[in-house]
Amino acid sequence: MTAEPLGLSIPGIAAEVRRRERNRRLVGLALILPALLLVILFLYYPLTYIVQISFTAGNSFLSPKGPEYSIANYSAMFGRFLPNVLVTLQLAALSTLVNLLFGFPFAYVLVRKIRYRDIVRAFMVFPMFGALYIAFGMRFILLPGGPATPLLQAFGIDATSVLYSLPSVVFAMSIFTFPFMVMNVGAALSNVDPTLEEAAACLGAKPMQTFRRILLPLTRSGVIAGILMVFGWNIGTFAEPILLGSQNEQRALAWTLYQRGVVQSDYGISSAMSVVLLVVAFAVSYFALRYSRGALVQ
Amino acid sequence: MNALATGSRPVLRVSRRRLVDLVGHAYVWLVLIVFVLPFLTLLVYSFTGPGGSYAVENFQYVLGSFGDNLSWSFRVSAVTLVINLAVALPAAYAIVRYPFPGKGLLYSLMTLPLYVPGAVIGISLVLVYNFTYHLTTSVWGLVFAMAMGTFPLMLTPIVVALKDLPVAFEEAAECLGATRWQTFWRVVFPLIGPGVSAGLMLCFVIVFNEYLVTLFVHPPSVTTAPLRVFNLVRTAGLAPTTAALAVTMQLISFAAILLFFRVFGTRYLKGTYLI
Repeated sequence: MTAEPLGLSIPGIAAEVRRRERNRRLVGLALILPALLLVILFLYYPLTYIVQISFTAGNSFLSPKGPEYSIANYSAMFGRFLPNVLVTLQLAALSTLVNLLFGFPFAYVLVRKIRYRDIVRAFMVFPMFGALYIAFGMRFILLPGGPATPLLQAFGIDATSVLYSLPSVVFAMSIFTFPFMVMNVGAALSNVDPTLEEAAACLGAKPMQTFRRILLPLTRSGVIAGILMVFGWNIGTFAEPILLGSQNEQRALAWTLYQRGVVQSDYGISSAMSVVLLVVAFAVSYFALRYSRGALVQ
Repeated sequence: MNALATGSRPVLRVSRRRLVDLVGHAYVWLVLIVFVLPFLTLLVYSFTGPGGSYAVENFQYVLGSFGDNLSWSFRVSAVTLVINLAVALPAAYAIVRYPFPGKGLLYSLMTLPLYVPGAVIGISLVLVYNFTYHLTTSVWGLVFAMAMGTFPLMLTPIVVALKDLPVAFEEAAECLGATRWQTFWRVVFPLIGPGVSAGLMLCFVIVFNEYLVTLFVHPPSVTTAPLRVFNLVRTAGLAPTTAALAVTMQLISFAAILLFFRVFGTRYLKGTYLI
């Protein structure tokens, strides 16, 4: 008896299975093709283009003689523009720290105590509309003579010194990225069994000891993921330094590259700046995703 | 007296625990208020008229003078959503249901736009539009920039929804003689509806409020509403009318999110932005 009723021999069936398998692969690739084209045309090709331009001198890529390759842009990044790089990293680091200090207790209360989480979620969507509205609102609040002035005077702070300053930029940036920290830490915390904390308390541990010995080690990956993700978002900060910062904070890389590239048409240096931003953001996001794997997208 | 003393101890402990809980709740509410404070103050400010009086005229101004900007925002968002959906639906279906080489890598390549800083996307597109694609004067440059930046937000919820859907439904439909096309539109698409809606909602909210990439790639004739807010706040100082425009934008976005929460809950937003 062979496979005669089907009209095919055994090798024939194997060939048919292989053919169908190959067809399915081709159909799969065809279905994914439009999406792939979209990211290649509007992300990957432009990114390779600016990497290439960042290694040419001045705007020589436009000259008919062909581009003139050099690393002058990168030496400028670590020379003239070093303060810009440093202030960008400083802003991102400070706002990440603020997010961690306020975000951990927030996530803890949210996961352990609160039953009205949907209300909290509804509040937390406001930063998602963008840093622009936050910066705008803060600018209005902090304006001398604005709503915050009486409060600041009560604490003996000169209202005029607050609006254009480092703390107000960091504060606005922290509001913008706070949900990312809470999301990561909260996901890690909800995987920790509450009975562990109760057991620690029963065995005589003080709250601080429970936090350091039980909670922190068990939520470490979520905390690291949150830190990295928030840092990666804040490295590209744009509206907050412009609307709330002094001259010092306005040197943040994203704004400088806009000024240099779009306003002054100095494409080489602004490409180098965006390559630096890109490398930092990618490195940070890569490790963030490695640490948060499984906790977030299931 | 002895009995009283021992009896009062548990009461004290309970009340202390209550106190800790109370502090926790108070802390959460304090943070939440700080969160919405920028919005609330703008809301109050947007109702102030000349000389500190109460005025609704600012919102008439939004529909009048800023009407053009609002309409650009809506049009760009709508076209972007259509492109995103047309691109993300087949891609998500292929990722979940079809075998092909390098799938993990391709999926990562497609979600990467979310992790590129907006200014970097902006400057790279400015250069490419200027010197290679010649798209600087067309609104399509802006639309495709928006589509590329937000389509991972459309893709991820659809992939999650498809993974949750057992293959049995599609197999049953095919056994009953449905073509692939019929199976997809009559069986799969309605069942992944919440995931698709989550993607649509997220993309709408992000594109509708996007000012950064827009600042780089917008053609001179097109100014979307958030970009107008940015320009006005940066150059013209503060005005109640600008606040009214910002408040309108946020209220529209908030309404879209609340509607989604009421209809579908928060399940499909997991891992995208909200916990």
